This record gives sequence, structure tokens and C-alpha cells, in this order.
Amino acid sequence: MTVLAYIGPGAGFAVMGSFLIFIGALLLGVLILLSLPFRVVVSLFIKRAKGRFKRVVIIGLDGMEPGRAKRLMETGRMPNLKAMAECGHFSKLGSTCPPISPVAWSTFATGVNPGKHQIFDFLSRDLNTCLPLLSSSRITTTGSGTTEARLLRKSRPFWHLLADRGVSCTALRMPISFPPEPYKGRALSAMCTPDLRGTQGEFTVFSTTPESAKTTGGKRLPVNLNESSALGVLPGPTLDGNELVLPFQVRWTEKTIAEQRATLRIAGRSHRLEIGRYSPWIELTFRKRRTRVHGIARFLLKGVAGNFLLYVTPLNLNPAHPDMPVSWPKSFSIYLAKLIGSYATLGLAEDTWGLSEGVLTDDEFETQCVDIHLERERMFFESLRLQRRGFLTCVFDITDRMQHMFIRRPENPDTSNPLAIDRTADERINKIYARCDEMIGRVLHKLGRRDLLMVLSDHGFTAFRRCVHLNAWLRENGYLTEKAQDRKRKDSDYFANVDWSRTRVYCFGLAGVYLNLKGREAHGIVNPGTEAENLIAELREKLSGLRDPASGEKVIRNLYESSKIYSGAYKSTAPELIVGWKSGYRHSWETAVGATDGAVFSDNTDKWCGDHCVDRLEVPGVLFCNRRIKWHEHPPHLADFAPTVLKLWQITPPRYLDGAPWDIVD
Amino acid sequence: MFEPKIRINKALYELVEQKADEEGYSSIDEYVTHILEKAVADAGENASEEEIRERLRGLGYLK
Repeated sequence: MTVLAYIGPGAGFAVMGSFLIFIGALLLGVLILLSLPFRVVVSLFIKRAKGRFKRVVIIGLDGMEPGRAKRLMETGRMPNLKAMAECGHFSKLGSTCPPISPVAWSTFATGVNPGKHQIFDFLSRDLNTCLPLLSSSRITTTGSGTTEARLLRKSRPFWHLLADRGVSCTALRMPISFPPEPYKGRALSAMCTPDLRGTQGEFTVFSTTPESAKTTGGKRLPVNLNESSALGVLPGPTLDGNELVLPFQVRWTEKTIAEQRATLRIAGRSHRLEIGRYSPWIELTFRKRRTRVHGIARFLLKGVAGNFLLYVTPLNLNPAHPDMPVSWPKSFSIYLAKLIGSYATLGLAEDTWGLSEGVLTDDEFETQCVDIHLERERMFFESLRLQRRGFLTCVFDITDRMQHMFIRRPENPDTSNPLAIDRTADERINKIYARCDEMIGRVLHKLGRRDLLMVLSDHGFTAFRRCVHLNAWLRENGYLTEKAQDRKRKDSDYFANVDWSRTRVYCFGLAGVYLNLKGREAHGIVNPGTEAENLIAELREKLSGLRDPASGEKVIRNLYESSKIYSGAYKSTAPELIVGWKSGYRHSWETAVGATDGAVFSDNTDKWCGDHCVDRLEVPGVLFCNRRIKWHEHPPHLADFAPTVLKLWQITPPRYLDGAPWDIVD
Repeated sequence: MFEPKIRINKALYELVEQKADEEGYSSIDEYVTHILEKAVADAGENASEEEIRERLRGLGYLK
């Protein structure tokens, strides 16, 4: 009997498709083998730098404070760093002016002062409008309609120079590296990499609270609640003016409540949520017609039924499917995701606003910080395992984020000591320092005799107790003039009420004081030259005597003129004065965003209670090395790493570098 | 990798190279880019206040 069967074209395409891939891979393999002799010959003619060490590993612990480190070493809680200090080197490390991470890490990477790398603060400004902007990158839309991000940090990281000379280089999580720069090594972006919504990290929290509200650090949204489920809509990125969203459902039963769990249904998949515990990273694909935008987020279900509360971390770019590159080469973030699983890509991934706004508890915030830290440990140790020669650097942020949130004022503060700290909260920081020390121990264990390890921080830390609203001071002293208030607005942020035709000086960001200079600012009124110089001298004199009415003490330790402390082609856009606050003081929250109303002095009542935006002499960083370091021209400074490491590979440091090389003594 | 390139005269290139070195730039590319940025007044991105607020939202240092 004859049986007729029909085989559709789909099966044929499937067979042929996989066959073509197989043939393609085979041909590529043959090509690689055939070209091998030529590549060997070419490599013989490439002038490779010879390294004194097999590997140079530099670990950054953002914000590690030398005083605390010393105390913990003395009390036996940091034995590994203590061993490094005893057998090698431990000292304070000079930071930049101002000692703020984007500025400091840019100087570490490039070996130059801010006047040559153009990062003077977290914020710069649009000279046409004076609106504050992120200083590290610019997002523009090209003529063809595509959106492009551009890195504004100038000069070159020293590992680019090493890679040019054939040294294998990996730079993980170096701040101010988004978008990633092309070079002959590998890099993973960090601080200032945006989230999927284009913000610097915006959480979402869903609850039964009826009103929707947008708060400083996140979105608070309602859910439709019934007996056994909650329905909500998670906002995603905006595409062509439309916000993409993902509807979701959280389901529970009496049995699952008893077992402290529920089920999340989102983007076509179900995930188990344990009440009170973070979910793993969940892949979220937002769709609009043929366009797909890929993100990841973690969910924390804090309560169900009548107490429903669901926290969602900022939507991170998916490292395994980056719609915007977060690494160089682009495939590197994908490779790391294959090695260690999904991981946070957001620049400042630890959700400090979640804690500040009471959405997260202290424990939940700390757990999030530790989880992110462990991801970075995994990517670092994998890179260390795979990279047998060359240069490897990685920056860990947990020390910085924990100190920002836990250098707390005691509940019943001693009024005679404004910098007093809450011991319970402080112990959380000590534990994190000890955790970092334990990690350093594991690194030391994996290094060989011909490997060099250096550990550094970009700045130290201090308490942030009092806010100084410099724009209010400028207003009160006649340097800044307001116009009639815009009735539509409740606030004066972003210089909304400033009359630029009568304003000579203004402030924003975390350290700078700017002149409204003719020829630079679009509405500038101060003439460069004598008028500007006299104004700077006048400001210096008046600000130097600024006293806190609560204590009567002077609040500024040093005032720096950028024209005197910076050199390089970009210094003309820097603030004219950089304020070196005494410990305990900082630019107020209002001044930071260009607000102009309110009082000059106020208490900092925010949960963000530790800071480093003070005089650089108040908050030096740390430097550890597993060998002795001999410095010559000045005590160790962040700018010295570039020439020091280049010399280890017998590369003459370029003339534009500002740092001075150290001798590494065996 | 596939960024546009500009062709210039060799003598001019050498002058530019010398100037870049004197001014403390890390490369000729950086120097030329800076000059061009200034020439086209690339000071801002013409973003609205609301767009700027959105981009800065979530930065712990700012409220």
C-alpha cells in the first residue's frame, strides 16, 4: 500500500538553516587555522611592552576611609589588608579637588587633573540655559533619528595605552565609562550608566494606596486588588513618546501565604516570589510592534492581600541582551552574563532612594548592596582566573553606598559633638569593610609571586549633618537675583526664578561656585579679566568667613580657585571656585539642583547621612600594596597610578600626565 | 569602529600634533574633537527641563 505524506517547507528550512550555520562555522575554523602562520609572523613584528610583573591587579574600594581601615586593622577585623600594610604599603591617598567619585576615578584612570579630563562634578551645565546636566555623557539624536550617547570624559585611561602596546587589559566597573570607549582590551561600564527608563535608577513600588505619585527616587503606583491576586502595570522605557508597559499579576492562596510565597506572572512567564526576599533577576522584554527593549529587575514582595506591597528595583539594561552597549566590546557583557548569570548594569545600582524614602528597610537595603557586591566579586574572580597576564582593575561600590546611608546621627545626640554617630548603624559599615578584607584575602591567595596587587579608594568619608544653601547666601548677599516667581511652579529648582540679567554668581552640583561670565554663559554679565578676578577675590573673602549660626564655627576649610589648581584645555568650563567644606557640611540639597529660595543653613534630616563632598584634605583615600612603595615628588595621589603602571611595562609616561611615578620595591 | 574620518593636509596635521602635545591633550583626535565641539557651540543637548530631571532622577546625591 502506498502512503502519501506531505512535508511542509518549514522542516526543510530548519534543516538547511542549521546546516548552513554548521558549514559557516567550519569555514571560519578553517580560515582561522590557515591564517595562523601569518598572524604569528605579524605578531613578531608588533612591539609589545615587557612587564616587570606577570599581572598587575588594582582593586578599587570606593570611599574606603583610612581612619576606619586603621582601626579595624588594629582590632584584628581586617587581617588581610593588615598583612599587606605590614609586608608592603599602607598610606593615605590624595584625592582630587573636589573629592567626588566621577572626578576622582577619572583622574585615577587618566593620570591627569580635572582641567584635562573635563569632569569637575557629577553635574555640568548647558551654557545656553545654565540647566544642570550629567557631566559624564551626553545623549543626542542624530539626523537619521537614532539616539546616541557620547562620553564626555576626555583624555585616555592608562590601560588604553597599555593595550596599544600589546598588554592584555580588563577594566571592570570603572566609574565614568558609559558609553564604553573602543580600545584593544575589555571594559564594563559603571557609575552613570542609565537604567532602562533613562534615569540614574528609579525604583517602582506597588501598593493598595490609591493615589499615584512620583517621588524623588521612584514611582509609587496602585494595584487592583482582589482576594487572591493583585494586578498592576509596570512602566518601562519611553519609545517615540509612548511609555512601554508590562502588565503583571501576583497570585496567592491561603496555602502559599502560609508558606510565605506567591506567584508573579509577567511578560508571559511565571516566577515564584518569596515574601520578604528578593527574587533573582527577572528578564523583562518590553514590546512595541517589532521593537523589543530588554531589561532586568528584581522584585521584593513585602506583603500580600490587604498589606500588598511590591518593590521593583530600577529596570537595568539586560547585560545578556544590551540594547545600548554597556561594555567594550559589546559582546563582553554578554560573555560575563554567560559566565556568572545576570547582573546589575545600572551605574549606581544600590537603591539609596529606596531606603531614603522608606520603601526599603535597613536590612533590605544592605541585602541588596551585598547581593550586587557578590555579583561583582564573581565577575572579578572569573576575570582573574581567565587573565593569566596583563592588567586587571575592578571597582567595588559597596563601601561607598553603605557609608552614605549608615554614618547616622545617634537617636539622642550629644550636642557638643555634631559629628557623633550611631554605633549600631556604624557596625554595619564595619562588617562591610571586613567583608572587603576577606575578599582581598581570597585575591591574595590566587595571586602568584610575580603578581602585583594594589588596593585604593578614591576618597574617604565623613558625616553630613548640616546643609549650606549657597544659592540662598548668594541671593542674600546680592550676587544672585530672582525674578517674579512663576506661578505655575511650587519650587525654584533648576534656576526657575533666576534673573540672569542681574545674576553674577550661581551654584549647582556638589562643590562648585560659578561666575555668570560674558562670552561663556549665554546670558553672562561678568566681564572676564579684572572684573571676574575682583569678584572671585570678594567671594573668597566673604565665604571664608561664613559661620554656622547654630555653632558659631567657620564652615569652609579651603576655597580653591580653579584657575590656580587646574591646568589643561577644559579648565575654562570649570567652576571658578571649589568649596572645601569642613566635615559635617555640604552644598545643600537645594543648591545641588539650582534652587534659590529658602534659608542658608539647615539640618540634614535625610537618610543620606554620610558624604565626602567636603575639602579634599578632610577625606583622603587609602592605598595598599603587596610590595613597598617609594614615592618621590609628593605623597601618593590618585594621578600617580597611570605613570607608575606604565613604567612597570617600560612605557615612557606621556608628557601630558600630571602624576608622578612611584618606585615599587620588591 | 565605523566612525567618520576626516582627511587633512600632512603639514597641517603635524602642526596640530605639536599643538595637541603642548596643550596637554592625550591625542590629536581629542584635540581636534575639542576644537570642533567649540566651533559648533556644542554646549548643550537642547533637552527640556523635564527631560533633564528624568535623566538625573535616582542619583542619590540629588533630590
